[in-house]
Amino acid sequence: MASTVIGAGITVEGEITTDEDVVVAGTVRGKLSAKEGVAIEHGATVEADVVSGSLVVAGSLTGNVTAIERVDLQSGARVVGNVKAARVTIADGAQFKGNVDMEV
Amino acid sequence: MAANGNVSVIGRTTRVRGRITGAVDLEVQGFVDGEVAVAGDVTVDAHGMVGASIQGRRLVVRGAVRGDLLGEESVLLEDGARVVGDVRAPRVAIAPGALVRGFVETGEGERGAARTARVAAAATPARPPAAVVPARAPAAAAPPAPASKPAPKAAPALAVAGGAAGTNHAPHRRPPPPVVPALKKAKGQLAKKRER
Repeated sequence: MASTVIGAGITVEGEITTDEDVVVAGTVRGKLSAKEGVAIEHGATVEADVVSGSLVVAGSLTGNVTAIERVDLQSGARVVGNVKAARVTIADGAQFKGNVDMEV
Repeated sequence: MAANGNVSVIGRTTRVRGRITGAVDLEVQGFVDGEVAVAGDVTVDAHGMVGASIQGRRLVVRGAVRGDLLGEESVLLEDGARVVGDVRAPRVAIAPGALVRGFVETGEGERGAARTARVAAAATPARPPAAVVPARAPAAAAPPAPASKPAPKAAPALAVAGGAAGTNHAPHRRPPPPVVPALKKAKGQLAKKRER
């Protein structure tokens, strides 16, 4: 269960740093770094570089992503930016533009 | 805890540097170093810390806030709250155990009341007035008695710099130097009043 929630209708402009999970349903501009998982929900807008343990995107993300474990772009996601992670999945129906680096 | 639906939570280990705006409720359990302005309710948890002003419909504070609190409806400072800043809302409640340092205004104060509030806040015996009083005494006593230390140095420099701006009465917050020109103008009267 996420302990930090940026709900729909909330806008954060700046830097978010945390050791716990983050769920974004609203808007984040700036930078987002979490030790655990980050979920960008459907309808959310993130214009930020994201550093996290893992990342699930169902909303809109513009920025570079670095995840320790995995990045999952779900159907309906819209991602522009470079993705670097051990594992990356892109579901059918996800829009994506950027480089993928899986450290082969 | 009602961590459902439209509640946004800044968790315990989360640190936000920047602005938080929005139309819904917000709960701060972590650290926010930036302005918070939402249309909904804001709760600052016992572990929460906010380093800037908070604006919302109803504010409940159990943690630390360094900044002004502005509530559309109410501000509730509960046990454990530590607030350094002005508190303004139609209804303000300060529970036993809450610590506040700042100006508090209840009722439908117009937004323009901010100015009055700031003046009043400056007049509270918390900080600078203490600096103003000693500054006057040496300045008035400076010409006859060569005993005082900072005034003789400051006064000539300010006589040049502050001559044109002599009418600009320094506010209470300022450190001693700006106070001197204002006093210099009225020095004669002051000296009479004080010494006789």
